Amino acid sequence: MSHLLDDDDPNMRSLALEEYKTLESTLTHQLDVVFPSLLTPQSETSHLSAILEIKSGVGGSEASLFLGEMLRMYLRLAQLRQWSTKILAKNELDSGGFKDAIVEVNGEGAYDALRWESGVHRVQRVPATESSGRVHTSTVAVIVLPFSNEVSSSEPLYEDKDIKLEVMRARGAGGQHVNKTESAVRLTHIPTGITVSMQDERSQHQNKARAYQVLKARLLDRKLTSDIENRRATRRALIRSADRSEKIRTYNYPQDRVTDHRLGLTMMNLTSVMEGDGLVDFINALQEEHDQTVMEEILLT
Amino acid sequence: MYRNLLATLSASMSRSHASRELKWMRESLCTEFNGTLTPESVKTLEDMVSRRARGEPLQYILGSQPFGPLDLIVRPPTLIPRPETEDWTIRLAGEISPTKASPITMLDLCTGSGCIPLLLNYLWPSGSNHAICVDVSQDALNLAHENAVRCGISVEFANEGSPTSTKSASILLLLDDVLRSNFPERLANLGEPSFDLITANPPYIPLAEYVNLNSTVKMYEDHRALLGDPNHTCHGEGLSFYRAFATQVRRYDLLKDCGMIVLEVGENQSDEVQRLMLNDAKMQRTAVWRDPWGKERVVVAWKSTG
Ligand SMILES: C[S@@+](CC[C@H](N)C(=O)[O-])C[C@H]1O[C@@H](n2cnc3c(N)ncnc32)[C@H](O)[C@@H]1O
Repeated sequence: MSHLLDDDDPNMRSLALEEYKTLESTLTHQLDVVFPSLLTPQSETSHLSAILEIKSGVGGSEASLFLGEMLRMYLRLAQLRQWSTKILAKNELDSGGFKDAIVEVNGEGAYDALRWESGVHRVQRVPATESSGRVHTSTVAVIVLPFSNEVSSSEPLYEDKDIKLEVMRARGAGGQHVNKTESAVRLTHIPTGITVSMQDERSQHQNKARAYQVLKARLLDRKLTSDIENRRATRRALIRSADRSEKIRTYNYPQDRVTDHRLGLTMMNLTSVMEGDGLVDFINALQEEHDQTVMEEILLT
Repeated sequence: MYRNLLATLSASMSRSHASRELKWMRESLCTEFNGTLTPESVKTLEDMVSRRARGEPLQYILGSQPFGPLDLIVRPPTLIPRPETEDWTIRLAGEISPTKASPITMLDLCTGSGCIPLLLNYLWPSGSNHAICVDVSQDALNLAHENAVRCGISVEFANEGSPTSTKSASILLLLDDVLRSNFPERLANLGEPSFDLITANPPYIPLAEYVNLNSTVKMYEDHRALLGDPNHTCHGEGLSFYRAFATQVRRYDLLKDCGMIVLEVGENQSDEVQRLMLNDAKMQRTAVWRDPWGKERVVVAWKSTG
């Protein structure tokens, strides 16, 4: 059709140019979006919900305060994406903020989107309590676990005999003699040594149910990780994302910017990230980068 | 403000427990849209904390207690359901599987808040079971009634004049004294002389231990729900209810042939209660279940050896 672009009739030329442009953009779209999406293996985890574990790291009360803000950031994101959330556990501090928190994020694609959040998040700012105006650096660690409400038809994640259930603290004679609320429980998965403690609920039954939920998520996480390790195609991508002690992002208040160290991407307007919209951009960019890595691996093998 | 409230609570319990209790109190109150307490709620919270600091049980202050997946109403003086009872009731629900096609009839003695039959009824398929629940306290029966309604379980009070309506509601509440030796005649008059399952968490605290109980229990919960020997009989071991029951079971043949008896017991009472079940009630087989803290908490007895 390119000869029509040189046609003598100006009307014909402009029609041809218009069509050329449409075709070109369709082709570009095919190459950049459709083709890769056909090549990239369908995510096997797209149906999973997520459990988000957030722990404060270095930086004392400043880290705890930032943890509270990150928690709100993720809750807003969930709202934007129409995932429902439930706080399974949180340790609020007298001084404000949280020592740690565990949140269930329920919905299609929650795990796939949030998994890129695993790692160490760093905040740089002047704490409200700091009179000298010096910028402090504090950290918060995030771990995102896969979780599914459905009973999986494949092999079970654990066997009952491998679980040790302990109730915390003694109750003296117990029974009718005591009416103090003692609902804390601890589960240990003996083969892996994974332990989960829960004490946020007033009933032992509820704490037990939540502890099992978190334990299952941790075991499923291990299983997925080893599944992927066994598959060469995504090994490189995995090695990048599996190191949870890696510093992945910095929130710099004085400069009003957020930098994702894996992408080398900096976004101005920190508030927009904390409000959830900007975070979506990071998550999408991380997803794209992941897809690309997976595709390169496929093309290389 | 929280700091002060926390300090007040911490005087009578560990700081970490105090902060959890404070959290549970806060969660029970109305908040503004942004999650902060309304001014009225702040006042209520302060009031709750001072009641708690004076020794009132948290459960009475909050007015509810989770029991398995249920959330039951609790109020003085009816006994607050214990986690030990919750644990064995859930276990029991898994041991028996009644169906609508072969429903079972159960008897719960000393029913209190109704927690045991309500949870069993909730966990089993609907229409698979029917319970008669007995208590000597009208307060307890009224509370059990409210709880059944709250859980969406059909319930009725047993009235002197209407003996035949027993099977229409899932839960039938009967006001009576189970220590009366001919009490089972009431059951026969209701058209239910024998049962597939009998459960009871009768008062089992010996007088000598009762006097030393924490005031949070002694001052707020009904002494009739706790004292094992209300008539100061039976050498003060707290076993009056088990003895009376064992005799009734045999004399009135309260248990069907393939039936099962499940009794909560206090510390160190399981041996004697097993003996009562075997010797006096003429059961064929017994077992003991431990509670989550490792204490022998429940005596189970079967009429047949199978
Ligand atoms: C330890 S409480 C158990 C309540 C409930 N079943 C539970 O597990 O939480 C004992 C109950 O027995 C009732 N009770 C005490 N003496 C009784 C009697 N002689 N006849 C019937 N019920 C009695 C009390 O009113 C109290 O509700």
